[in-house]
Amino acid sequence: MNLPALLAAIVFLISLVLIFTEKLHRTIVGVAGAALMVLLGRILGFYSESEAIAAIDFNTLGLLLGMMILVSLLEPTGFFQYLAVWAGRMSKGKPVRLLILLGTVTTLVSMFLDNVTTVVLIAPITILISEILGINPAPLLMTEAILSDTGGVATLVGDPPNVLIGSAAGLSFLDFILYAMPIVVAAWVVALFLLRFLFRRELAVRPKKIKAIMQLNPAEALNDRQTARRVLIVLGAAILFFFVEHLLEISPAFVALSAAALALVWVKPDVKKMLERIEWSVLLFFAALFVMVGGLQASGALTSVIRLIETIDQLPPALFGVLIIWVVAGLSAVVDNVPITIAMIPVILGLGADGIPTAPLWWALAFGAGFGGNGTIIGSTANIVVATLSEKTHTPITAKLWNKRGLPVMLATCAAASLLYILAYPLYLR
Amino acid sequence: MVIRDCMKSNVVSVPSTTTILEAATVFVERHVGILPVVDESGKPIGVIRMGDLLTLELPDFVHLVQDLDFVHDFGAVETTRPSRQLLLQPVTTLMKPIQAIEETSGLLRAYARMLQDNLYDLPVVDASGKLVGVVSRVDIGAAVLSLWSSKDKK
Repeated sequence: MNLPALLAAIVFLISLVLIFTEKLHRTIVGVAGAALMVLLGRILGFYSESEAIAAIDFNTLGLLLGMMILVSLLEPTGFFQYLAVWAGRMSKGKPVRLLILLGTVTTLVSMFLDNVTTVVLIAPITILISEILGINPAPLLMTEAILSDTGGVATLVGDPPNVLIGSAAGLSFLDFILYAMPIVVAAWVVALFLLRFLFRRELAVRPKKIKAIMQLNPAEALNDRQTARRVLIVLGAAILFFFVEHLLEISPAFVALSAAALALVWVKPDVKKMLERIEWSVLLFFAALFVMVGGLQASGALTSVIRLIETIDQLPPALFGVLIIWVVAGLSAVVDNVPITIAMIPVILGLGADGIPTAPLWWALAFGAGFGGNGTIIGSTANIVVATLSEKTHTPITAKLWNKRGLPVMLATCAAASLLYILAYPLYLR
Repeated sequence: MVIRDCMKSNVVSVPSTTTILEAATVFVERHVGILPVVDESGKPIGVIRMGDLLTLELPDFVHLVQDLDFVHDFGAVETTRPSRQLLLQPVTTLMKPIQAIEETSGLLRAYARMLQDNLYDLPVVDASGKLVGVVSRVDIGAAVLSLWSSKDKK
């Protein structure tokens, strides 16, 4: 490894460690790391400013921004609360049914909308329903986070790693529905049954105050019916266009940003308040990581990784994919899955340039990055959100509890995905 | 008119060794909103408010969900009492620092302090800092409104 590659690798690894230890906010680490990478690139002459700009995948950023705008319009309408209250009523106060309904609603919404926002808005209502019933909210909260993270892997827009993978590999929305969704559905069902089993003691209680739950009125939780209807119509249209984007030769980013524009014109929100709900820190973090990994690639550091992988690539190709699932899942359980995915993308592209069939590897990356986050309390942002909210309740979710109940789910979903991956491998070669 | 003229001067206080449960009984019997906590020498070291005790019983979701219109029945929350173990803790675990008003303060100045700090009762102190009374929003409000119809505009 030459000097530029070594230094670039050090900058990237230090950034990963800082993100992992949470000593600094990940966006600050990203921006500082990106600046340092460009500085090194200019001094040692391996990375120019225009290359750094070109490394930013604006398709990913555009898709994320478009979807964030739609969510920011939907958020204040009370639509998410409406769904959670509806699920609470439908459960008739039966804990297992409540777990399944809330888990399913959270998953379905987060397949199309940002799962962190979904969990942020559904979790408080979950705590409300639990307290009214007099049951422990922790199993419900953990189930929501884990199932929404798992379900999000099924679609192109379901979680950020998929957006990145779809953009880099040129995979369409329909590709995700055809190739990822079946395996995700299987893993999701495994996760649900396992959670139901692991929390069997907590779910065995019979709440006494069922009448109070039936008094909850979902319609009253929906504050702004008109705006909710408009945004949902636009969102529905966007999803239809996602299905045919490859036929129309338009990008998902174009669909999402057009939908955002249409919704903005129709809803005419207070722009300042709407923009405050956009997660700029996430967009900035992504942009910074693109610049950082661009430098890593330009320095030749990733080429060394690719060569290394090729020398150990004596495995049957299907098993190599399984190895990727587990390595990426292991990393995603302890570090944010976004930097892992952004770093893996050029590696897989490099392997492809050397003639290795990469189509199946993209799916392995998506499964690993998606399911890995279930393993620890810090594995995904949704996990952190429910844990933080539960700290305000009498039964906080601890890291130990997550290791006991979440880690088995991660192992089981990865095992299910691996098994199905091997069976489906011929299909992935297309 | 100043605070001295509308405050309650028979201050009910509790020693620092009082348990939360005992303090609750004092709140019930004396119908007050605030209790100064005093040390062995009778010196006030903090206050405990009725709201601090009620918070122990309030469900967590009240702080998490802004709009509670759709909740028509609090269910199990209404019948959940704080644990015995918690109630037997000394009041000092819930005690807040004293935010007092001087007895010579004007009425509206005192009321504005209450609004800004979101308080309903204030301990009253004299120039030497000695606790001489407590005053509530209702005490101040009644005193202010009484001036509207009074000919004597102090």
